[in-house]
Amino acid sequence: MVLWSRQTVLSGFGFLIAMLAMAGIFALLGNSFLFLAQIMIVVGAVVVLSLIVITTINMKEENLPDEPRKFTWMLLSAVLVAPFSVLMYRTLVYLHHSFAETKEGYGSLKAMGGELFGRWVLPFEIVSVLLLAAMLAAIVIARKESKQ
Amino acid sequence: MTPEPFFMLATLLFSLGLIGLVSRRNLFVVYLSIELMLSAVNLVLVTFSRLEGNMGGSAMVLLLLAVVAAEAAVFLAIIIQLVRGRRSIDSDDFSQLRQTKESR
Repeated sequence: MVLWSRQTVLSGFGFLIAMLAMAGIFALLGNSFLFLAQIMIVVGAVVVLSLIVITTINMKEENLPDEPRKFTWMLLSAVLVAPFSVLMYRTLVYLHHSFAETKEGYGSLKAMGGELFGRWVLPFEIVSVLLLAAMLAAIVIARKESKQ
Repeated sequence: MTPEPFFMLATLLFSLGLIGLVSRRNLFVVYLSIELMLSAVNLVLVTFSRLEGNMGGSAMVLLLLAVVAAEAAVFLAIIIQLVRGRRSIDSDDFSQLRQTKESR
């Protein structure tokens, strides 16, 4: 649905559904904190921002890119991508056989916070700087040209 | 719990994102495909973190979510700027940086 709908808004809604399903899978994996983070950050911020931009731009039907042979292209690229995905799947399954089994007490908020502010403090701080830089960049790029 | 379905799903998501990235010309669809690929990576990280019983992978996923948010902000700002200049979201219209015969 994300890929082949003609209208961009339908792609956006398909993306919303996919991200909600992703949050459900995180919950299925027993990771309650990431479930919440996925809902709040991706669904609440990223998807809503995308939908707002899609609807704000308000492209007319005739302004959308004309892709007459879209399905041919998608089929062709699917054939090209297929061996790569088989390889990736086999690699992942092989990797998992070389790991030990899981322990108990996984996925709690306490474990998450301890990990995040213990070993991962430096990346955490770097991410805050990155978010600030991205915010500045977005403002600078999207700003109207100032009168000289 | 076997992790193979999750690997299968992540592979499928990544492949779908790659297909959309190379075959569509709508800039929004390209952007959403990139997001799909990023979330496939997230899924693999969470699955391995679960298998290992180690929260490091989950912390990495949280930081990746922040990176996804930053990427969304910059990408959408660029799209708005392009649309303002050209009234188009067709990626074939933005080919100024392409190598032409004269410049080669």
